[in-house]
Amino acid sequence: MDDRRRWCIRLIATGLAGILVSGCVQTTASRTEVWQRIPTTARVVLMTPDIELSELTAGGVLEPKADWTERAKIHVVEALSGVIGAKNANLVPYRAPENDPAREHEHNQLIKLHDTVGRSVLVHHYGQLKLPNKDGKFDWTLGTDVRVLREDVEADYALFVFMRDTYASAGRKAAMVGLAIIGVGLPGGVQFGFASLVDLKTGDLVWFNRLVDPQGDLRDPGPARSAVTKLLADLPL
Amino acid sequence: MRRAAGFVRLLLAFTLLVGCATPRGAPGAVTDLKPGERPALDSDEAGLWMAVTRVETSLKTSGHVVADPALNTYVQGVVCRLAGPHCDDIRVYIVQTPHFNATMAPNGMLQVWTGLLLRADNEAQLAYVLGHEIGHYQRRHTLQAFRDVRAKANATLFFAALTAAAGVGYVGSLVQLAVLSSVFAFSRDNEREADEVGFELMVRAGYDPQEAAKIWEGLLAERKAMKDSDPSIFFATHPPTDERVATLKALAAKTVPAGEPELGRERFLAATLPFRAVMLRDEMRLRRAAATQLVIDRLLASGAGPGEIQFFQGELYRIRGDTGDDAKAIRAYETAVASGAAPPETSRSLGLVLMKTKENVRARAAFARYLELQPNAQDREMIREYLRRLD
Repeated sequence: MDDRRRWCIRLIATGLAGILVSGCVQTTASRTEVWQRIPTTARVVLMTPDIELSELTAGGVLEPKADWTERAKIHVVEALSGVIGAKNANLVPYRAPENDPAREHEHNQLIKLHDTVGRSVLVHHYGQLKLPNKDGKFDWTLGTDVRVLREDVEADYALFVFMRDTYASAGRKAAMVGLAIIGVGLPGGVQFGFASLVDLKTGDLVWFNRLVDPQGDLRDPGPARSAVTKLLADLPL
Repeated sequence: MRRAAGFVRLLLAFTLLVGCATPRGAPGAVTDLKPGERPALDSDEAGLWMAVTRVETSLKTSGHVVADPALNTYVQGVVCRLAGPHCDDIRVYIVQTPHFNATMAPNGMLQVWTGLLLRADNEAQLAYVLGHEIGHYQRRHTLQAFRDVRAKANATLFFAALTAAAGVGYVGSLVQLAVLSSVFAFSRDNEREADEVGFELMVRAGYDPQEAAKIWEGLLAERKAMKDSDPSIFFATHPPTDERVATLKALAAKTVPAGEPELGRERFLAATLPFRAVMLRDEMRLRRAAATQLVIDRLLASGAGPGEIQFFQGELYRIRGDTGDDAKAIRAYETAVASGAAPPETSRSLGLVLMKTKENVRARAAFARYLELQPNAQDREMIREYLRRLD
């Protein structure tokens, strides 16, 4: 019986540990070696941030939330303007070319290309699948076709921001506690994001940062600003 | 005894938990979408729309979407004729892929795959499939499916927790399987309902009700020809079963068309013929000769553009390369050439097979004809090399 009790306690401890795993924020920035803080005030175009908030239901289904996402977009853009405005840079909002489908198509392809390159950085630079030929170097680029953006938005750099945020529903939280009691660790919601700064002359990703935070919340202005501040903490502008 | 009481308490706790975690709207409780209706921003439906709008934004700039304005206007026109007041809610994207499919997203993003355009005989058959997809949209089937999955995932968690507590983990996986299979059954109920809506819409628009079952019959034959070896997702969720064909035939038998039932064959051919060679080339790349042969048989029977079809019939034999296929390929290419409307590549393919079967004189003639028809062909140097070797 004693054995059984010890075994139960160990299970409960494991389960609770599962809930409390890595309660701390992680950010890891990368930059190209040649990067230097530019002396003059840079014009930075803020590309439309790619943001989606979801609720994690008790059974583990992610439910996208339109109202939370709308709110988060407003908070994040406000926070970005504030944080960038305090640096040596002018932030201009991105506007797609009007009445020029061919040009708009080129913009869209660049945005999609960045999406792919950004995900590759996450997988191959930060993740476990390192590319041997990179040898740890951070030298990712979109290529010189970015001049299309440079011409149309008249900016030196483009800032891309990607955020995904999930929140455990009330049922999920109850399940996490309930299952922890019987020794099963169930993951809850987590905030994940990345930002990258692209030089619009060369197309190079000159700076990149990733954020993982199990506590963050983009639904309110305060925590949203805190997330953006962490994400852009060492943006070298 | 105390353990049993604890177990009951746990069971109660999870029952309550699942109860409170199942939000607004049980499956089946939804009403049809009204024209122009948009979901409230704080609803689960708005979340689904947001997620698929992201997909749509990406699809808009995809290289797989056929941009041709004439073909798009044509298909959108058929959609509007069927959907009436929902016309403006539904946006058509023609996707270049040889598989048979059409998909509807909850926000009205309708994908029509070119494999469907290749397989429909006429506008009535296309209209039936489009009507089926419009049915998914009007009846909010994605929302129903999502709510069903969400409720079932919660229930699965409940069972998994219970069985883990009782120390019988493997029962949990059996329960999960059962729950999963009922998710698929739910989706088939939606399919049946969409079949009915599609049929109703096509009949109301004046199309021949007999055509609805025919498109499934064609697919059923293709699947049988491949001996169920095709791992297509489409067949898993849209089973072209005998039951389905029988239901549609019974519906057609009961239906008395209001006027002269329409096939819309000429309009359909005028819109799709310019793309048929591209669609057939994509189909050939799937390397499933048995099914492709049935597609070619149907196109030959329909009679439009026989020179082009005979060329692809020859290509099918040449690529398959079974015993006797060389001779069959040569016959098909020669029939194509004789029709006077064969694609120029017919002569090149004919030359290749004749070269293989060592009929050098005829091979030379075929290659020479190809160069005559296509003096600037990208592979002209290769063909000239063949001609030198055949001397």
